[in-house]
Amino acid sequence: MTEVLPASPALDISRLAARRRRDNWINLLLLAPGVGFLALFLVIPLAQVFLRSVGLAAVGQASRFTWEYYRQFWTEPQYRDGFFFSLWLGVASTLISLATALLFSALMQIRFPGRLLVSVLYKIPLVVPSLVAAFLILSLIGPGGILARLVFHWGWAWPRLVYDRWGWGVILVLVWHNVPFMMVIISAVMASIPLDILDAARNLGASPWAVFRCVTVPLSLSGISAATLLVFIQVFGAFAVPSLLESAYPTALPVIMQMEMMDHANWALASALGAVLTVASGLILFLYYRLVQGRGAGVR
Amino acid sequence: MTRTGAFPSRAFPWLLAGLFFSLAAIGLIVPLAVGVLWSLVNPRAGWFPPNLVPPSLSLANWRAMFSVPEMGDAAIASFTIAPIVTVLCAALALPTGYALGRRPVPFRRAIEFLVLAPIIMPGIVIATGLGSVFIRIGLEHTVLGVVLVQTVVVLPFMIRIVTATFEAVPQDLIDAARNLGAGPLSTAWRVLIPLVVPGLFAGGVFTFIGSMEEFVLTFIVGSPDVRTLPVLLFAYLGGRSQIFTYAAVVTIVLLAPTIMFLFLAERALKQEYLAAGLGKM
Repeated sequence: MTEVLPASPALDISRLAARRRRDNWINLLLLAPGVGFLALFLVIPLAQVFLRSVGLAAVGQASRFTWEYYRQFWTEPQYRDGFFFSLWLGVASTLISLATALLFSALMQIRFPGRLLVSVLYKIPLVVPSLVAAFLILSLIGPGGILARLVFHWGWAWPRLVYDRWGWGVILVLVWHNVPFMMVIISAVMASIPLDILDAARNLGASPWAVFRCVTVPLSLSGISAATLLVFIQVFGAFAVPSLLESAYPTALPVIMQMEMMDHANWALASALGAVLTVASGLILFLYYRLVQGRGAGVR
Repeated sequence: MTRTGAFPSRAFPWLLAGLFFSLAAIGLIVPLAVGVLWSLVNPRAGWFPPNLVPPSLSLANWRAMFSVPEMGDAAIASFTIAPIVTVLCAALALPTGYALGRRPVPFRRAIEFLVLAPIIMPGIVIATGLGSVFIRIGLEHTVLGVVLVQTVVVLPFMIRIVTATFEAVPQDLIDAARNLGAGPLSTAWRVLIPLVVPGLFAGGVFTFIGSMEEFVLTFIVGSPDVRTLPVLLFAYLGGRSQIFTYAAVVTIVLLAPTIMFLFLAERALKQEYLAAGLGKM
């Protein structure tokens, strides 16, 4: 009996180790399909983008390290303007969407007739593809659109809203698409604010606008920041809507990338532009995580 | 949920209703109605400014759906690829979602970030990388290539939703099943899977819609050989001559199943699935 005792902890340890090994194998087996797929079809292509942007890992060409494509991006106005145009589209449509979504989300908290129907209707744009949104808005505000025809009957001229220098048509479609997305996130956060706090503010003499500005908005900041971040990054990398509704110059960076890939077969330059887009988005994501640290990041 | 105290005025709720309903009319109902009208325009008479309604209507554009090969092919491609992508996503996400939802997994943060990446990253960048890799391995302009690229962008939604569903299953039920003598397989089959089916269904709806609507990656990897409905819509809208009538037909073919699916799935699409699917919380 006494000989067995010292062996038993060692046996336990080896059994534990075997169990941990088995657990690890099971984890690996379970994670392999989903994570493995993403590793294979997301991580490798992304690595390819970065390698190709510096002249490496190209097909059928001599691989040689070069910064040429990045130099091209910064020195040729076409590409630089594309970058700033995409940035402009992102900033403008995010700010307009945010202001609209904040106002509407706050108003949606109030009881009014038909509120349930509105809360269903406003979610429809969420499932409308952006190309369809572009078509619908084009048939509404385009040069031969229904609104242009309507004001023509009254003898007015319709302003040029699509194919314009500042991309207002693009911005309008993106706002139409993103306001409901932001409203879903922001109204969920606003609905979770305890009613007592708002009543207390009102009791202490705050006007409805002051309550909105000083209580509702600060308390929904986690949702607001998450929605803003997601919308900005999506718009910054948007291809379809700018491609259809923008003017001939400047063109958004993703549109330039597509032309380099499909019209000029210049995958290296497209990869460099893609790397710029990725790094810029990554930088914004990093800043976001720094800013909301400790306040509970909405995007996880 | 409802705040009545903030605005004391009696007329205010009615003003609010007026505001929201007129916005819905201008932003949603008028564009959809104009879209339907465009699809019914008689191609012989056309619909030119300043006419507010088409001078004559016909079903000629809808007949084109079956007589113009590119439209029929695109519809077939879309309705074949979407179910394949959905089934593939479900098969890939089920074990991974189980591991992430119910097991202590190493490198959890890194895995969650990898799953979030395709939702946040610009599609055009993923398309650049995948296009470049697919040319090398001969998958460009093939249906298989399109299925794979679409899976990359919709799989994260499925994984997140399935993970959230697995997390929500009470441990008591599993313990009870084990206590009553069920083996691991029997527990999985009789307890876990039935409890996860609603989440899987919600994820399937998201995946199907996502696949139907996916454009950038399909366009860059698939065209010109594999064209889905969004790619065709892009061609009709972006070409040198816009074909509004055909674009309207494609729009309705694309929108009808999406909206129908959404209404059918409304019971299954609880807020938490929507939140998980939209990449938040």
